Amino acid sequence: MHFSQPITSALLLVAAGLAQAASSWSFDEGSLLITAKKGSDTVKEKLNAKSPLSKPIALGSTDTLKVTFTAKDNGKGKRPHQAFVILKEQDSGLEAPFPLTLKENGKAVVQIPQKEIPVNLLLSDKPLKASIVIASFGSAMGFNAPAFDVEITTDPNVAPPQYEKPVRYGKKPEIHHTFRADPQSPPKVVSLIFALAVVATVPALFIGWLVLGANVNHLTKAIGAAPLSHATFFGSIVAMEFVFFMYYTSWNLFQVLPVIGVVSVVTILSGTKALGEVQSRRLAGER
Amino acid sequence: MRSLLSFFAFLFVAAVSAISTTGDRLLVVLDDVTEKAGYSRFFGDLESRGFKLTFETPKSETLALFRLGERAYDHVIVFPSKAKGLGPNLTPNILLDFLNANGNILVTLSSGSTAPNSLVTFLAELDIQLPTERTGLVVDHFNYDSATASDTHDVLVLSPPGSVRPEIKNFFSAGAPADQLLAFPHGMGASLGHGELLAPILRAPRTAYSYNPKEQAEVVDDLFGAGEQLALVSTVQARNSARFALIGSVEMLQDSWFGAEVKKIGATKAVKTFNREFAKRVSGWTFQETGVLRVNWIEHHLNEKSALNESNPAIYRIKNDVTYTISLSEWSWDAWTAFTVPTNDVLQLEFSMLSPFHRVALGFDPSHSTPEAAAYTASIKLPDQHGIFNFKVNYKRPFLTNIEEKNTVSVRHMAHDEWPRSFAISGAWPWIAGIGATVAGWVGFVALWMYSAPPALEKKETKKTQ
Repeated sequence: MHFSQPITSALLLVAAGLAQAASSWSFDEGSLLITAKKGSDTVKEKLNAKSPLSKPIALGSTDTLKVTFTAKDNGKGKRPHQAFVILKEQDSGLEAPFPLTLKENGKAVVQIPQKEIPVNLLLSDKPLKASIVIASFGSAMGFNAPAFDVEITTDPNVAPPQYEKPVRYGKKPEIHHTFRADPQSPPKVVSLIFALAVVATVPALFIGWLVLGANVNHLTKAIGAAPLSHATFFGSIVAMEFVFFMYYTSWNLFQVLPVIGVVSVVTILSGTKALGEVQSRRLAGER
Repeated sequence: MRSLLSFFAFLFVAAVSAISTTGDRLLVVLDDVTEKAGYSRFFGDLESRGFKLTFETPKSETLALFRLGERAYDHVIVFPSKAKGLGPNLTPNILLDFLNANGNILVTLSSGSTAPNSLVTFLAELDIQLPTERTGLVVDHFNYDSATASDTHDVLVLSPPGSVRPEIKNFFSAGAPADQLLAFPHGMGASLGHGELLAPILRAPRTAYSYNPKEQAEVVDDLFGAGEQLALVSTVQARNSARFALIGSVEMLQDSWFGAEVKKIGATKAVKTFNREFAKRVSGWTFQETGVLRVNWIEHHLNEKSALNESNPAIYRIKNDVTYTISLSEWSWDAWTAFTVPTNDVLQLEFSMLSPFHRVALGFDPSHSTPEAAAYTASIKLPDQHGIFNFKVNYKRPFLTNIEEKNTVSVRHMAHDEWPRSFAISGAWPWIAGIGATVAGWVGFVALWMYSAPPALEKKETKKTQ
């Protein structure tokens, strides 16, 4: 019997150690109900503290999710200070806590209709992950574990709830101005064909004139009668065309106008003489 | 005169290790001036950074934030007060005017005292809600200090906070030693509104929640907030870049917590607290010692071969290629350094008349950057719409000074001699050929008319007379 002394004290120590480690919160008799508005319970599941439910639960737009359990500290039903069902949206990580109403013996119940769930969680296209948190003051270890998944089903006849994302400072989308299209020309071949057609009228004109009896027979006679005037007059006609050509290619109006002035004066002065010579030929009956 | 004095003051205190960009006059409002002994290290740190501290009680008659229309102080720290109000010199309107006059405010709360009514009104104006009854205690049964709060769980032990979004620069935990934790003892959590001016620094962990110890000691029937919706340290930066910070626990600034060691429940060994460095960083941000940006210069010019190399012309033409460069510096404790845009974030240039025609990213330009100023550049082709346009850089981010720069330029249409010449337009060739044909025909006609002889007509005439 003198062996039992150290053995019993060792056993007591071990028992004390076990009691210390085992002081933690958990729950029992957990159940999950989906109550439709009409009153009948469509889904009823048992909740297990050790493992979450494998299949997601569907929550319709008029349904209410009801979670009940008895919170237990070390196997004894007690009222914890914190008993929440936390719904988490998977993409953004946002969480919405729902505190349970607690009684002295640890019985907890909460009813979550779909309209009490925040809008940004309702608009998620993945199921919401629900976890249960039970904890209180003192040394007992808290309980925080995933319990079930909730799939939000919406009424297709009702418009989905609107959610406006709050304004946050950050980079804005890039904008690039779309320019108006540059004016386009038709294909060069088409332009060339028509240009050639136009240019072809010139020899056609000259040939036509020749057919009708065009000639420059009086050229020698005219130059013999008034050489300087005719040369200057015809030269100034050609010079005028040259001025127009220079205006087209490089000169501006203020360069062209004085030159036109000079050329016009030359044309007028030489023209009186030259056209006078033509008149003299007309009066002589040669035209 | 004032700017000259402050210039000399700046030169004098430049010898100190850190300095605020907006001034060094700091007012500390406490109920009981003897309390300040418990925060000697915090105040000592502030003084070593160049601040001139003045201690006043809220109901003191000499307390005035404004003097003759100008701010009498540059920064204010408000400690929790047991009184119901903060007195006639710290009304919510005066505090708001102080923020609007570019003053910075740091407010601390404690779960041990009820927040004064005027403070709650002021916070509501900034869209920060405190619990009803103006008192609350944040507890977390999973993240508490087992050494000091093994039963009450009201000393939260948290890791130094990272940034809320990846593109936000992390001012508050960058470089923190891996094993140090933040202690948040006996604090109040706040609930932030949706505005873009608010940004939390430290959020409560998932399992934390706030309750009223006087009324909700047994059961939490009306939950104010839980998890990450509770902001323990939150900030507001006004549009004029005046800063406001709310620290939910004034005790985390105490000497006892600066040097403490905390042991998180479930951890094996105690670690030092990060509180001193965190207090330095939060007060440094609030009092414009970090995160302050400055635009050094802006330059835009025509980026075409025939350009005259003129800087910042007042007028451009449509479809010009223009290059825009902006130089930014960031004040970091005691010196201006080159500002680097955080990765994932871009500095954007907008070219807009009434709405942006272009919004492009500005890229870092090493050729115009120095170690104190970073240049960012972008090249755009001006739209084919003429009018009065603005180069706008609108860079507003949480924790950084708001940058809003607008340069107005005229954009004229093409001049008559800037269009392509008609001989270069292939569709005009038939018309040019027509002109040439007309000229040739005219000259030929003149020659013909002047020098031609009539064709023979005698045969016809003789026929007629017969």
